[in-house]
Amino acid sequence: MPMLANGATAPPVPDLVLSGPSLLAFFKTDCPACHLALRYLDGLSRSIGSGDRVVAVSQDEPASTDKLMRSLGADLSLRFDHGLAASEGFGLEAVPALFLLDHSGRVLASSQGFDKADLNRLGGELAKLLEVPAPEFARAGDGNPDFQPGCVSRHLEPESDAAAAGIPDLYSRRTGRASRIDLPTDADAEEWCYESGYADPLPVVPPTVGRVERMLAESGLSPDEVVAHVPPNFGAASAEKIAANAVMAGCRPEYMRVLVPAVRALCDERLDIHGVQGTTHFAAPLAIVNGPVRLELGFACGSNVFSNAARANSTIGRALQLILRNLGGAAPGRIDMSTMGNPGRFSFVIGENEEVSPWGPLAEDFGIEAGCNAVTFFCAEPPRPVSEHKAREPGVLLRAICPVLANLWSYRVCKRSEAVVVIGPEHAATLGRGGFTKRDVVEFLFENTGVPVSEYDGDGGEGTHEAGYYDECVIRGVRCYRKFRRPESVRVMVAGGPAGKFSAVLGSWATGPRGSQMVSYQFE
Amino acid sequence: MSLTVVNPLDERPLPEGSAPARLASVGGARIALLDISKGGGEVFLDRVDALLRERYGVAEVLRFRKPTFAKPAPEAVLTDIRKAQPHAVIEALAD
Repeated sequence: MPMLANGATAPPVPDLVLSGPSLLAFFKTDCPACHLALRYLDGLSRSIGSGDRVVAVSQDEPASTDKLMRSLGADLSLRFDHGLAASEGFGLEAVPALFLLDHSGRVLASSQGFDKADLNRLGGELAKLLEVPAPEFARAGDGNPDFQPGCVSRHLEPESDAAAAGIPDLYSRRTGRASRIDLPTDADAEEWCYESGYADPLPVVPPTVGRVERMLAESGLSPDEVVAHVPPNFGAASAEKIAANAVMAGCRPEYMRVLVPAVRALCDERLDIHGVQGTTHFAAPLAIVNGPVRLELGFACGSNVFSNAARANSTIGRALQLILRNLGGAAPGRIDMSTMGNPGRFSFVIGENEEVSPWGPLAEDFGIEAGCNAVTFFCAEPPRPVSEHKAREPGVLLRAICPVLANLWSYRVCKRSEAVVVIGPEHAATLGRGGFTKRDVVEFLFENTGVPVSEYDGDGGEGTHEAGYYDECVIRGVRCYRKFRRPESVRVMVAGGPAGKFSAVLGSWATGPRGSQMVSYQFE
Repeated sequence: MSLTVVNPLDERPLPEGSAPARLASVGGARIALLDISKGGGEVFLDRVDALLRERYGVAEVLRFRKPTFAKPAPEAVLTDIRKAQPHAVIEALAD
């Protein structure tokens, strides 16, 4: 059934009685495009006034819907499409789906997916009908994308008979319970787990029923609820399986509030963990944590941020790696074929040192407000060190970072890599004192990182064949090819300990829509 | 007393698969080559293409290409290959 056309009469929505023109927004709780749309619609609702003028229609249960609304700080008028009859009646294909209805329930306009232009258009038309000023509430260039495709409407999600057909099951939201295994009475539990293929080569905490149940209780999820399907085997990461792996990794139960959204983000198609799981390259998924949760759970953001300083970093990172291996199938030497590997394949989680940063947190680059909890993933090479102990001016300091950036992937390969630059606190202080905003830092690094054209002398090495496609520039009087495609290829954040004028540079794997794109997820 | 643990692995039975029957000969056959778009892949596949025709009498070599090596082949590419009804497909993995 196609989506309801303009002029058609809308089918009933449970518990909704129209008392005037209304903007209906269908959404589901695990759809990132819906999260974006709901934030703007909340702004519209607040500016237009009370009543059912903007109505958010959830395709999910009240518990998960309320949790989402709290995390978004949204106060929208809510309805619940129990049984999804309204979703079917409106002919939804994707969510978010917006319908502007007149007082009689006739469709005046509609839109699917997240689109700022559509939001402004529909919001404007609603304001006109209500005879109030039209707000421009979804502005271009505010840090969020102008457009993001939606997710398939809940009522069109296929039933999970895929496994029986022998094809990957990508969509089911429920799965079978994990089996219970009674260990032989004389078994050494740690050795038994290792021999059963549960673990990386380090000892694990045996996932006993009691430990897993305590972990699960903290998640607030049903044991059989599927959080994600983990590529490349698409094993179902149910809450129970996540909990079992978290126990083995040494997590505390309260870490589930980070681990669950982290698993969801890790399996976001944009991150392409599918490719990273099997690559010969060095890449491993790095998780960067922002928000008050860092202090509440004791994440290391300072000294030794990349190493073994805090239980939260080390065990959550290890749990993610165990999940990739145990549910995604990426065992080294079978699916994971990295030539050199990456120490981050044991654990790769850092917190941003927001307290000493002169700038907003990294997650803000992805539209998440400062002060919110967020986990951001970047598929990264191991960190490359930068030392600059003499520079007193931002420009001098940043010059030390440029040659490290120029070496990413392979020295003479340009326009391919992205980078996360982790500025140490002493360096951050120098940049802050010098009045450099984060944007200034990014633009300086973009403008001043290049590879001299003279290096392309016809020897046929990596990166030389594509030189015709590179962008030429002049850096300090030297003709160069620009290393990066655009300033946004470089992301900047602050972490590390208070002493030592060091920073770190992390290069990417394949990037963009044909490779891995950074993703950032907000959570409570 | 024995401990009871919760299985942390993917417990789905792996779907059984078997390799398709080998072609008795590639002489006169229609063979598809799938380029996964790794750098330099076309150089290698051009040579395979030529050898299949010249040395093994392959009647037709069909060429297909994934848009990126970093992701699985999109359905459109698989559909194109199926439509062409080759007798066999050679997919070369990196590197």
